[in-house]
This record gives sequence, structure tokens and C-alpha cells, in this order.
Amino acid sequence: MAKQATSPIAKTARLLDLVPFITTHQGISINDLAKEFAITPDELLDDLNTLWMCGLPGYTPLELIDLSFESGYVSIRNAEILQKVRLLTKEELVVIAIGLDFLKESVSKDREDLLEAINSLQEKIKSLIGDIAQVTPTVDSAHRAIILRALKERKNLEIEYHSLIRDQITKRVVTPLELGEDKGIEVLLAYCSTATGFRTFRLDNVKQTKLLDGSDFVAESKNGGDEIFRAKCRVNSRLRTTFERFRLEADMAASSGLSSGEGITVEVTSFSQDWLVRNFMSTLANTEITEPAGLAKSVGAKAQSTLELYKNGHFSS
Amino acid sequence: MSRKTERLVNLTIALLATKRYITKSEIFRTVDGYEGTAESKERMFERDKDDLRNLGIEIEVGSFDPLFEDEAGYRIKPDSYQFQLGAVSSQEISLLSLAAEAWRGAALDGSALTALRKLHAIGIESDIESIPDLAPHANIRDENLQVAISAITSRQKITFKYLSEELTEQERKIAPYAVTSRYGHWYLYGFDLEKLAIRSFRLDRISGDIASEGKSGSFEVDKGFDLSSLSKGGEEVRSASIYLRTGRAIALRSRSKPSSTKSAIAGWDLVELSFRDQERFIEEVLWYGDDAIVVEPKGIREEIVKRLELGVKRYG
Repeated sequence: MAKQATSPIAKTARLLDLVPFITTHQGISINDLAKEFAITPDELLDDLNTLWMCGLPGYTPLELIDLSFESGYVSIRNAEILQKVRLLTKEELVVIAIGLDFLKESVSKDREDLLEAINSLQEKIKSLIGDIAQVTPTVDSAHRAIILRALKERKNLEIEYHSLIRDQITKRVVTPLELGEDKGIEVLLAYCSTATGFRTFRLDNVKQTKLLDGSDFVAESKNGGDEIFRAKCRVNSRLRTTFERFRLEADMAASSGLSSGEGITVEVTSFSQDWLVRNFMSTLANTEITEPAGLAKSVGAKAQSTLELYKNGHFSS
Repeated sequence: MSRKTERLVNLTIALLATKRYITKSEIFRTVDGYEGTAESKERMFERDKDDLRNLGIEIEVGSFDPLFEDEAGYRIKPDSYQFQLGAVSSQEISLLSLAAEAWRGAALDGSALTALRKLHAIGIESDIESIPDLAPHANIRDENLQVAISAITSRQKITFKYLSEELTEQERKIAPYAVTSRYGHWYLYGFDLEKLAIRSFRLDRISGDIASEGKSGSFEVDKGFDLSSLSKGGEEVRSASIYLRTGRAIALRSRSKPSSTKSAIAGWDLVELSFRDQERFIEEVLWYGDDAIVVEPKGIREEIVKRLELGVKRYG
């Protein structure tokens, strides 16, 4: 996690949180305590030395917080006033409320006890901060957990994967390499034994996961044999939506010298020709392919075969 | 620097320990760290109060005797200082911790970390055995989310530049109410102070940073605001009747239900689909090309035919 900035405020918060933590973990080692608070042992010692100077007005040894940590293990006395755990701030409550939303979706229906516990915690939080966050996850936390285990234990996975481009759900055996992100979408990079090659799987399209016992040897580096398909097109309307669809950055519009009414000419790329064809079908009303001619022809043929079905009397009411 | 920290901790202890209100002059006399002229002590104290409030510590102001206008006094009520979720079980601790863990490496990991510390400080071992192996993850690093949530919880107005459908930037000013996430996108809901209505904004369409404006507590949330009904989408649900080639158009199929009239064509299924946004629906149907043929509504069918004819003319 990101390291806390050590402003006096952040440091104050940490000191106030250290007291109840040490109280319930008397004798904890300096190293463990530093790790818990995501600081270095030196920073922790500095904190403890500051805390040592604090206490009730009067500030005689009777009133000061009594800390011992010379032995490398920390214990605390005379800190009753601060030993209650601090309340969660509204921001912390929001963070937890959203996290509970993520969890809820992945708990199986037969764990009524857990679902009930989550609901009651969410109700409690809502009563404190109102209904200000609602989240529907796209990735099942249980699937992510299994993938992480496979990565950690270097095991193979069997996944059921829904490819939107191929419009197919397939079962595959994969050796996971890493979890990553592609333009904001969580992806699994893996060697796919079914396809005998390296593949990228969108986590939101992974429908089932199963940990397998075996593991395949995989060459360390990804083979760079992937072909990239490029196309040039003009985007004439529905600019923002179309840019998002083709995963283009909005500032490309500015740099392309947009003049009103003429549309914006952009280059789009993909590892899949099918992905391009489908997207140009979806955006027939907004885009115009300028090159390559082969791609335009494929889209034209697809439009033709679809149109024929619409003209076919069977497909009407 | 640690002088200031020391003073803040000492002030917190003094105000928490007292059962009665204590006056400013008592504070300056007894709490360690208030030095200098009367004026500079005043300034110090005002800043300290703000700083503690930012940590979620509320200092209560009161007077000794409400009948007389004597000097105001201060204290922190233990109830408003301590953990407010009451007694929690070890299973609840596990759930709360796991929920906070979802933000590791994501936009709100600072708050998640401090929340986790507090949960751990309660000293109840989490009962991780009792919950299934789950790895929640908030896949967002956009720092605007943190700014937005902080503005929502402190009721502070915000301004930002928003990308329109024409890819131009528009200046927006809103009273932020809530955030949601659906289909992998984050949305910010709020009362648009120029359009004078509730609006939603996709977070990744905000260009640049969200800036907060004015003081906290500067608006009240509209009583009629209901996140549950809004986040389901404003437009009315319509229904389409559509032929899907058997075994194809999986995503459409998974949302559909079988039509009451049976398909008369071999190798094709007739299904009913609901949709809200017409344009998005047409684009999705076209994605499946000759695997998905809309029968009803007529208007949508005609629009699709028009686009296909354009495609054939242009590329054929």
C-alpha cells in the first residue's frame, strides 16, 4: 500500500492508533509492529519516543504514557485514556462498504450466515454515512482467489472462458503467468495448452475456475509472434462512445486537428481481425474505414450476409 | 514537527479525559505545547481543532452553565471518539478486513490501510477459516475517486471538466451525492448546480483533476435522492423480439428469455430481450452480425437495415 505521508497530522493519527494496537498486542516485536503500520523500524522508534512524551496534563511520570521497547519488544502501560480503538472515518467506512459489495456477489447462496453478516454490517454502515456507494463487481472474487492460488503454488488452471470476439464459451487448461491490466480491464496472462500459445484472458469473462494438480513448464518470456492488425478510419459521430469502444485516448482527437463536420481520422489496432470487423459492424452509422481495403471488404461482406437475412421473409413477424 | 504531533496527542488526551468542559485558558495553562503570545496560542488552538476534525475527532463545544454566558468549554466525548460499529465477532472482523483489503494497490488504499489498522487494534483474531477463499479487488487507480468520496462524505461542492459526446470539455459544478460501479465503470452522482437536476458522470470521462470548492457541509442531499433506483438507469425498459442463431450470440442469449411464439426457422431461436438504451442495443446486435436478427420493435429493425444498407454500399 502507499506509504503514509508523515505530516504531523498523519503522524498524530498513527500515534493514536498505536496505543490501542499495542494494548491488545503487548510484547509485539518492533519489526512486526512497524510492518503492521507500514513504516520502517526507525520511524516506529521515532513514533514511540514521541508517544513517550505524551500524557495527561501535569506530565509527571504518573501521568505520562509508559512505554518500554528497549528489548526490541513493545509494551505499554498507563494509557487507558487512549486505549479505545478510534472510530472509523467516513472515508474508511465507504471503503469498507464498497469492499463488502465486492464480497457479497461472490459468496455462494448456501452461506446464508455470511450473507446475513455482510448485510447487517452494510446496514450498520449505511445508518452512519447514508446510502452513498453501490458497486456491482464484474469479476468474481472467488475466481480471482483461485487464480492467485494457482500463481502462488505454480499450478495449472482449468477455466471456462467466454470469448466475446469468437462468441464462444470454451474450456481451457492454462498455466497462469501473471495478473495484469489492459486499459483498465483486469486480465490474466497465461500459457494456454488448448491453443498452444500465450493468451490474455479478461477476468470478467472467466466463467469458471478450477485448480489442477499439474504444472507445465513455460518459457519465461512471451513469444513476440503476435500479429497486430491496424486500420484507419474516420469517426463521424458519437465520438466519445466510439473512442471508448476502440479504446482510443480522447486527446487523440485534439492532436488530429478536428475540424467541425469532417469527423476525426484515427488509427485503431487489435490483435484480432474479428474484433475489428465486429466493432466496425457495431459502428456502421458512425465510422468509415479508409484502409485497409481488405478489412472494409470483410465488413461489407458481413453487412451483406446480415442484410440478406433481414430481407428474407422468414425473419419477420 | 514532532512538537506539533505531541501537542495534538496531548490535547486529545486532555479533552478525552475530562468529564466536564474545559476552557481555552485551562487548556493553554495545562496542556503541554501551547506557547507564545495569547494571539498565537489562539491561532494554534484553532488549527489544532481543525486538524483533529480532519482525523474524524469531533471536539464538542459547550458551556458550564447554560444560563450564564460564561467562557465556552471543550471536550471530546468518548462515544464520538471510539470505534462505532459496536461489538464485532471474529467473523465480522474477517469480513471487514477482507473488504478493506480489496483496496490494496487501488485508489483508496490510504483509507483502507488506516481502517485495517483500527480493525486489527480491536485485538480479535479474525476467523479467516470460516469464510471461503475470496480475493476482492477494486480495480481502479483514478485519484479522482478518492477526491469524489471525500467530497461526498464532507458535503463539499466540486468542479471538473467533463468530456462530452463530441469530445469537447465542459465545465461542471455539482454537489456530489454518491458513487457507483457497474459493468466495470465508476459513476459519480450529484446535483448539477447549473442544470439544477441530478446527473451521473462516468469517472473516466472526467478530464483532469476534480477540484473541491468552498467549505465542507455546504449542501444538503436532496431528500428525494434514491441511489438504488437511479443506478438502475433512467430510461424505461423496452422489449425486443429477436432471432438468435442456435449456439451463437452467447452474451445476448444469457440475458434473454424464450419467446412465447416458437421459432419457425430451423437452427434459430426466437427470444425476448429487454433493453434501455436504443443506440447501445443496436450496436450490440450488430456486433453479432448474421447471428442476430431483430424482428420487433419495427423502428429498430428498420434502423438496423438502414445501417446495413449503408455498409453494403460503402464497403461492398
